[in-house]
Order: sequence, then C-alpha cells, then structure tokens
Amino acid sequence: MSEDGVSEGAITKAELAELADLFDKFEFAFDPISTSAKEAESRFEDRIREIFEQKVVPAYPQLGFSIFCCKVRSLCREYLKRNAP
Amino acid sequence: MKACLNFSDILEVSQPQINEMQRIGNSYPDAAAPGACEAFTRQVRLVEGIVVQTYGVAAALAKKADDLDEVSDVWNRMSRFCQSALRILADLKHKYAYCGTPQLYDLILDYKLAADKRYKGVMEEATCQKMEFPKGLLPKLN
Repeated sequence: MSEDGVSEGAITKAELAELADLFDKFEFAFDPISTSAKEAESRFEDRIREIFEQKVVPAYPQLGFSIFCCKVRSLCREYLKRNAP
Repeated sequence: MKACLNFSDILEVSQPQINEMQRIGNSYPDAAAPGACEAFTRQVRLVEGIVVQTYGVAAALAKKADDLDEVSDVWNRMSRFCQSALRILADLKHKYAYCGTPQLYDLILDYKLAADKRYKGVMEEATCQKMEFPKGLLPKLN
C-alpha cells in the first residue's frame, strides 16, 4: 500500500489523484461561478471521458459512462477526505 | 473557545437579512421615493455577501461530510435558502430595477443552480453505490 492509502487499479492512483484535484476545485469551490471552478470542471469532464474511452470501453464495453462517472466522483470525494491537509 | 455552529445555525443567522430585504422593499411606494434606492441597495449588498458566504460554508461542509446523505442535505438546504431569496426578489427586481436588484437575482439564481447541480450529482452517486461495478477497474482506497 502506498503512503496515500491507494492501491493500484486499471485506473492508476496518479490518475485518481489528478481527477480528485480537479473535482476538489469545482465541486467544493467557494465561488461556483468563478472561471477557475468552471475550467476545473471542464478539464475534469474531458479527462474522465478520455480515461473512459482509453481504459474502460475496451475492457468493459457493457459499462456505461454515467455509471463510471458516478463511481469516480464518489471515489474522488473519498480520496479527498482521506488526503485532507 | 469551543463553541461551534452547524449549517442550520448559519442559515438561521442568514435568513433574517433576506426577510429584511422584503421589509425594506415594501416600506417604500417605489424606487423613486426619497431614500428608497439607497436603503434597498444597501440591503442588496448585505444579502449578496450573505449568500456568497453561506454558499462557501455549504461547500466546506459538503467536503467534510461523513456520508452522501449529509452532503445531499447541505446542498438541498442551500438551494432552498437561495430559493427563499429569489422568491422575494422576483417582485422586487421590477420595483427596484435600478438598485442592483436584477443583478442580485441573477447571482443568487447562479448559486441556486450550482447547489442544485451538486445535489443532483450526489443523489446520482447514492444510486450508483447500489450498482454492480467491475472489480479492479478503479484504484482501491485502503
């Protein structure tokens, strides 16, 4: 187990950390209409779509994007709680 | 000092300023009455600060919440808080059309939509938790 308490999956812990960072910047933004929050949300959506197309579709073609997205959001939430400063 | 506030306390402190906006708005026949726009603009600024600040508190609480039920409750309350301000502003934005009111209405609507979006997202996450998901796809949090 690594220091951040994450063990590897098909989606790497570095990818999860990246997604969690973006998720944090828009989901918990104090100003939800700020440019930085909107940019983070847009980058999160692009990145999660990219990962889905590259890693999920070939291995799990039956898995829908919305369910994948949902699970990743929950995982990001949990990751941020466990790695709170 | 060890006293702490929960989100209900924050909303309880904030709500009277929303109601005060209604009172001030109703206390003048129109925006052209002496002192009307000045008094209303001052309250508009106060309410703007309160909504922005309350949203920030909601975001901080949502991040620290123990479970998805708690998160959904925070965003649901935030949305209803915004709705209570919008209901009052819906009429007053016409009466005080040049006192910053339409801008405040738009801002609060944006914040309400943001709270609604987060509420909807967390409800979807709660539904997804019950669904089967392939093992080994996502990294495991230990």
